[in-house]
Parts: sequence; structure tokens; C-alpha cells
Amino acid sequence: MSTVDKTAVPTGDEMAGMTQEELARLGARLDGVELVEYGPRFEADSPAEKRAERQVAKWFLLSAASALAFILIFVMWPAGYQDPFSSRQWIYALFTPLLGITLGAAILCLGIGVMSIARRIAPHEIAVQQRHVGPSADHDRRTLGAELMDTLDKTGLKTRRGVLKSSLLLAGGGLASAAILAPIGGLIRNPWAQGKDSELWVTPWKPAADGTLVRLTMQDGSFVRPEDLATGSLMTVFPGVPGGATASDAAVMLFRLRPNEPIRVRTGQDGFNYGEFFAFSKICTHVGCPVSLYEDQTGRVLCPCHQSQFDIHDGAKPVFGPATRPLPQLPISVDQEGYFVAVHDFIEPVGPGFWESFQGSTPWGSHPEVQPQPKPVFPPFGQLPKENP
Amino acid sequence: MQAHSGGRFRRRSKALRRVTGLVGLVLALAVLGVGYSAFAPTGNSAAAGPVDAETIAHGKSLFDTSCISCHGANLEGVDGKGPSLIGAGQAAVYFQLATGRMPAKANGAQMPRAIPVFNQQDIDAIAAYVQSMGGGAQLPGSIDIANADLAKGAELYRLNCASCHNFTGKGGALSQGKYAPPLNQATNTEIYAAMLSGPENMPTFSDAQLTPTEKLDIIKYVRASNDTISPGGYDLGGFGPAPEGLIAFLVGMGVIVSITLWSGSRS
Repeated sequence: MSTVDKTAVPTGDEMAGMTQEELARLGARLDGVELVEYGPRFEADSPAEKRAERQVAKWFLLSAASALAFILIFVMWPAGYQDPFSSRQWIYALFTPLLGITLGAAILCLGIGVMSIARRIAPHEIAVQQRHVGPSADHDRRTLGAELMDTLDKTGLKTRRGVLKSSLLLAGGGLASAAILAPIGGLIRNPWAQGKDSELWVTPWKPAADGTLVRLTMQDGSFVRPEDLATGSLMTVFPGVPGGATASDAAVMLFRLRPNEPIRVRTGQDGFNYGEFFAFSKICTHVGCPVSLYEDQTGRVLCPCHQSQFDIHDGAKPVFGPATRPLPQLPISVDQEGYFVAVHDFIEPVGPGFWESFQGSTPWGSHPEVQPQPKPVFPPFGQLPKENP
Repeated sequence: MQAHSGGRFRRRSKALRRVTGLVGLVLALAVLGVGYSAFAPTGNSAAAGPVDAETIAHGKSLFDTSCISCHGANLEGVDGKGPSLIGAGQAAVYFQLATGRMPAKANGAQMPRAIPVFNQQDIDAIAAYVQSMGGGAQLPGSIDIANADLAKGAELYRLNCASCHNFTGKGGALSQGKYAPPLNQATNTEIYAAMLSGPENMPTFSDAQLTPTEKLDIIKYVRASNDTISPGGYDLGGFGPAPEGLIAFLVGMGVIVSITLWSGSRS
């Protein structure tokens, strides 16, 4: 600051008489920078200059060559997919790294080249810059503060003008609400508006209007028989209706538990199983990830997203992690032809449980076909319900 | 001036040595990797040999010395130690013995893979003995994935296996210290045997649920997943975007900061 103050700005006439170098030094001085040493690094056309020039040009040439290599590889490399059993997999796998290396080298060499211009060719200089230490001067700070507060006082915003202030607040709040509503408002819907046909009550497992029950199918569409599952196995099944395998709320895990395993079922869900076959929704009741890390011996299924664990031997009750509701159980049986069918739809919403606090009862209303029930109660361990297909 | 340029020369040759050293290291690692993949054992055979009374008797004698304390004299299991093996089948025995998980070395959440104790002949004998006690799932004579459908295998793998073993086959954690092991060490036959028998906490996949053809498709996908050369260079263990982002951030930022500091200190 002091340097700037001391340097008088020359008049236009004075500047007209100055050389280019003098003007450059003046500019630096006006910015508070004193050039102690300043001048060309080499004599023009000296061998040293030529050598420096070559050293810089080397980087630019390398950059250009890398860029050219990138273009050639991009255009000419035989980059068609080769599967891992092919001996030409190396050629395919090298394509991306080669593009990265050549383009990266082109950028890097260009950067190094530019840096070495500054280091090897640009004028040799030693500059000293005066820097002021600490905060602004006392008088600067006092006057600025006074200026701001005086404006505020004279406008009257500090003590008076209540209408002005509240209307401004209203305007800001209104604008903010409008801005939020535009993108979010469309997402807010009443999920129970359609009564018993509401989205959360209905999945593709719902029997058809004529009473036809929905069969359990594998991913390829084939129906499932009890004998298809070995003891201690898990099969992901889908409703045998068009679009069933892709519906987001329909995926179900069909378990065959060991015959002597002590199993508890949830109150009101007796007979939902078919012998040792149990079907539970695959959609986690936390945030809807597919749970299917099945531990065959402990009877737990784990959700990979947030480590919720459900005990299949105990009504799919959550035993660990953030999920709070059991996995909804699908009532299953076997039809005349020996294939698994869903007896009716789930009796509670599938997936994330934020719409209802517990089974069958919500702040918005109850399931139209199921009596509202208090929080599910599990019978004590000794009293196992009879299971009989 | 002379001394100065001499110093520069020395420094440059040191840098040169470092660069050549690095290149040499990379080359040596590459040669090692290629060499390993060329010589690593890939062959496997679990084709059930001729089963006769003599083999079964040999299997029983091995069982009586190595397995009896946990699985019982008549394969009925020992409470609190080991499960019954009646009906466990040849595939289960092959998997457990060929991967060295059995005979168990120590108690734990889960038996780790280890160097097998028994040779192929002994494994076949014990398997034949267990198979003779109540039957169970058996491996097919040959497991040939040459004509298997890779794309179908990938689909089935994602539906049935990926939740525990990771879609790159790297395995993953289960509850209370248990884990789904990585699949890169398992041979084709071991993978087949695991699907058939559902070892430890793995569910069983009967031939009706996944047909033998589908099992071969899945094995082909596992092999392909293991043998794929990562197109991004190094795959950082195949664990996905979290470690990749971490390394990109730490290493990338670190390199940029170091270069900046270095170039600043030189000018």
C-alpha cells in the first residue's frame, strides 16, 4: 500500500516518452511490486537460448505425438468385444488404458511445456512485493462501520417500518415456497385415494377378477412345484401374470425350510405357509432393496444395503439393522395341477414402511379387507402353531 | 559453471535410474502375473470313480479316523459338534474335503478354505462311503463349460448368487462373522458341488431349480468374471465404486498436490 502511495502516476505525456520496458516496470511498481532484477534470460540467438528452446519444444512435440497416438488408437485399434475365453482379450482390454495413457500424456506434456517456458525462456526476474500485515487501518474500519450503520438507521429498518419488513419476509417466503412446490408438488399424492384398489394394497399377486389364483413362476416363466426345491433352499419367484417378473413390488422369496425346524408365524397369518414352504416379499421394509442373502442354517435373510436381518424362522421379524417391519408374507398353496399359487394378495403394503405404523392400521385408514390389528404379537416360543398343508 | 552443470548431470542420471527402476518393477510384476496365470492349476476332476465295496470300506476307515469325532460313528452327527451326514451326499463331501474346509481345524463362525488334507482318491472313497449312507446329491461325471451360455449364466448368477458372492464373484460378509467366500479360488467342480449341496449357510440349488445346464452356465460366468482383464487397468479388488473413488481422491489429489509443491519449490 505504501509503495503505491509513493508512486506518482505519470501524466499521459510522460508515459508517451517511456519505453515498453519502462512501462512494464511502472505497471509493476503501481501494483506494489518492485522488479529488483529484470531482463532477458539469454542473448538473442545464443547457443544457450537455442538449447532452452529445444528443451521446451521437446515437451510440445511429445504432447503432439501423444495426441496423434490417441487419435490413431481411437480410429484404428481393433476394439471389438472379446470375451474372457478368447486369446485376443488382451487387445480388447488394452483399448481403454491406451486411450487414457495417450490423452493423459498429451495433456501432461503440454502442461510441462508451458511451465518450462516460464522456467527457461521467460525474462529472468526477481520481484519484491510489499504486503501489508494484519487488518485494515483503524480509521478504515471505523468509517466503514459507521457508513453501514448510518444507512440502516436513516432508512429506519432497524427500529420502524414493520409493514415493510414483514411484507419483504412474506415475499421471500412465498417465492421460496413456489420454487419448492414446482418440482416437488407433483410427487405428493394420497396413496389411499383409490380405497381398496390403492397402489399400496395391490400387487400383481392379487387374484384375477374371476377368482383365478396367480401362480408362482421362476424368472423364465416356468411354474414352480414343491418338489422343485431341495430342503434348505431359496428360490426367487414372480407372479405368473404379464409383467410379473418386472413389477417392483412383486418379487417373492420362496423358502423350503427343514421339516423339524421350530417355526413361529405371525398372529393372523396361520396357514399362509404350505408345509415347510414359506413365501416372503423380497423387498426390504427399510428402503426397498432386494433382501436375499439367505443363511440357510440360521434362517436369516440379510439386506445388502443397510444390513437389516430378518428371521425367517420367526415370521420374518427384523432382528438386526434399521428395518422395523417384518417382511410381508404371501399366503401360498398348491393348485389342482400341483403348482404353487398365491391364495390372495399380501395383507400389508410391501416395501418401505413409512406409510403405516403397523399392520393393517394407518393414520389414513385401514386395509379394506383385513381387520385392523394391534401391533403384531408373537406367541411365546414353546407354543408353535400347527403347520399342516 | 562447470561444477554446476556436472551437478545437474548427476541429478539427471539419478532420475533416469529411478525411472528405469520403476519400469523394471512394472515389467517384473507383469511377467510374474502372466507367469502365474500360465502355471496356476486349473484342471480338476471329481468324476465319481468306480464305486465298489472296497472303495466304500476304504472310505469308512478314513471316516473313522478323521471325521468320526464330530459326525458320529454312524454319520448321525454329534450334538453341538457336527451335523448328521446321512443323506448329505457325494457332492457335499467332495466340496468340503476338496476345498480343505473339512476336516475342521478349529471352531469358528465358518470353516475357511485350506489346503486339502486328503488326496483325490481318498476324497472319492469317503464320498462313496457317505453316499452309501442315505444317498444325496451327486456330482455328474464331467463338468464341461465349453458350450455353456455365458449370457444366461450371468443372468442366473445375478438372480441367485450375486446377492452374497458379489456380482464380480469377490464374496461378501454375512451375519456374525460368517461370509460368502470369493469364488476365484474355487474350481468348476467345487462350484458345481456347492450349488448342489449348499455347504454351511449357502442355500441348496436342486437340479429342478437350476438345471445342470444352468449350473454350467453359471460356472462359465464365474470363470469369465474371474478371467476378465479389467478394462480400466487395475480393478482394486473388484469391490466397486467406493474404493475406486477413495483411491482416485487420495492418490489423485496426492499426486496433484505433490507436483504443485515440487514445481513451486523449484522456481
